[in-house]
Amino acid sequence: MIKVKDLTKRFGSFTAVDDLSFFIPKGQVFGLLGENGAGKTTTLRMMATMLQPSSGFIQIHGVNAIDFPEDARAHIGILFGGETGLYDRLTARENILYFARLNGMELKVANERVERLAMQLEMTEYLDRRAGNFSKGMKQKVALARSIVHDPEIMLFDEPTAGLDVSAIRLVHAFIRELKAEGKTIVFSSHTMTEVMALCDAIGIIDRGKLIEFGSLHDLEKRAPGMSLEEFFLHRISEDRR
Amino acid sequence: MRGYTWIVFKKELMDTFRDRKTIITSILIPILIFPILTFVMGIAMQGLFDDVESHVPIAIIGEESGVAEFLQETGIVEIKPEENPMAALKDLDVFVVVEIPVGFNETLKLKNMADLVLHYDESSQKSTMALGTVQGLITQFQQEIVRQRLIDLGMDPGFVTAVKTESRSLAEGESGNPIGAMLYMMLLPLMLTMWSAVGGIPAATDLGAGEKERQTLEPLLATRASRSQILFGKYFAVVVASVMGMFASLLGFLLATILNPSVLASGGIIPLKAVLVIAVACLGLNFTFSAVELAISFYARNFKEAQTYLSPITILVMIPAYFTLYLDGKLIPESYFHIPIINTIAIIKEALARIYDPRHLLIVGIWLCVYVGAALLFTRRMFNRESVIFRN
Repeated sequence: MIKVKDLTKRFGSFTAVDDLSFFIPKGQVFGLLGENGAGKTTTLRMMATMLQPSSGFIQIHGVNAIDFPEDARAHIGILFGGETGLYDRLTARENILYFARLNGMELKVANERVERLAMQLEMTEYLDRRAGNFSKGMKQKVALARSIVHDPEIMLFDEPTAGLDVSAIRLVHAFIRELKAEGKTIVFSSHTMTEVMALCDAIGIIDRGKLIEFGSLHDLEKRAPGMSLEEFFLHRISEDRR
Repeated sequence: MRGYTWIVFKKELMDTFRDRKTIITSILIPILIFPILTFVMGIAMQGLFDDVESHVPIAIIGEESGVAEFLQETGIVEIKPEENPMAALKDLDVFVVVEIPVGFNETLKLKNMADLVLHYDESSQKSTMALGTVQGLITQFQQEIVRQRLIDLGMDPGFVTAVKTESRSLAEGESGNPIGAMLYMMLLPLMLTMWSAVGGIPAATDLGAGEKERQTLEPLLATRASRSQILFGKYFAVVVASVMGMFASLLGFLLATILNPSVLASGGIIPLKAVLVIAVACLGLNFTFSAVELAISFYARNFKEAQTYLSPITILVMIPAYFTLYLDGKLIPESYFHIPIINTIAIIKEALARIYDPRHLLIVGIWLCVYVGAALLFTRRMFNRESVIFRN
């Protein structure tokens, strides 16, 4: 469960996120749609406690993320950007284990979890090879495993398919569906409408830091009958800017 | 160091020392550079000495004299028959021209003082060094004449030597190469300071800006480790890399003194007390500069930018290091112990001169603590600033 209330972030005189409020129940996939610079990444960074909000409130899995960021982070897994970086000189196993350990897992438990994830994501073959020579697909799998190694209840994805090839995109989509099936709560930012439609239970449209639409796909369809999501998105943005 | 700091530290060390570039730039090159440099310098110097000590081509202007004969008999000098001796000197066909004025032989016969002019080319190292060799031989020639004159007068040739000097150095374990030992005493503090300050740059660049460029910083910040734990884990890894770089350089320097003592003589065995003082002073710089370098690296957007920002540190350290190059360890002005970097060099110089002034040690110790504290505060502040961490 994620609760965001009156969330605002200012960088000097620029307001990147303006009074954002939404609630995402457990097990839902929430898609945050917006153009570049709309405030999606800043919102997700605040939810991941990397950025301190100027004002407002965030609750992650029942934990006040503003006052107890380290406790909140225990429930969060993140995957930021498409071509997620790895430590090239570490093996895939070492990359994943490092994050497992930094998320408070005991070494023995972490090792078992890495083995399990390697089987699941079909990366056993190269688990003990250094990541420097991996293909994009292999890197993506390691990054996915790294983000869920500590079995977080909440996953934050910031444009996870940006810059990826078709097979890597399919891998990420399958991964998100699997997480959803496991009952994880997912926040997923994108500017690809088809992706959002295919994966999300609820959608928020963000423009110039403000949440201008929020609801389920069904709700949005009702609000703009006959319009595709893309048309509705453009319509709402132009309406908001008028 | 516990918990997440330790995990970050271990990972960063492993990552750093798996990097071939770091191993080469921080360990291999510092070990090899001085032995190679002194080896090449040794060959060049030996070549120069061989040229002017065993074979000195000269030309003679003026009347024939016993001087020429004497010089020729030494086997060191070759008298070349040159039509234009001064032009030959200019072309370095000869290194020195000996001008024997008219009446030289007559003056000597009359037991008077005769003049002799030695022409050389100051712009040529060989000519300048050859001048010393020829002057030495002519001194022998004139000593021989004086001895003969005293004998002719029925006097003991030792009569004119009122005082005979013998030089004995106070320094423990004489090297037999005073110039090499002086070079060692001048260069060691300079090099130690430089290596302590810049040894952590490759690791700091990779652990700060490198983390940003690889896009691994965000996942790292989203773990349960606090910013301070991440920062300190990285910081200690940079310190270790810096100290190892410094030791590698020191090892190379000491190897050079063993392999090429003719160029760089060790100034004798450094006592343990001095080693400890020097080690603590250098560690103070390691800790200070590692923090500053990490902060700058985090400020940079990427690896290249970090390298651009960090390279002036070398110049920053070189200025005080060269300023104190000729500073005598026994005559250090009091104010120097309060100036950053210079105070570290001053304490190293004192330790090398076997001076352990408790007041100086305390002053520099306090200053080093202040520098480390200030550098860490600055780095922590930078790492906690969103505008630094997310500066893209």
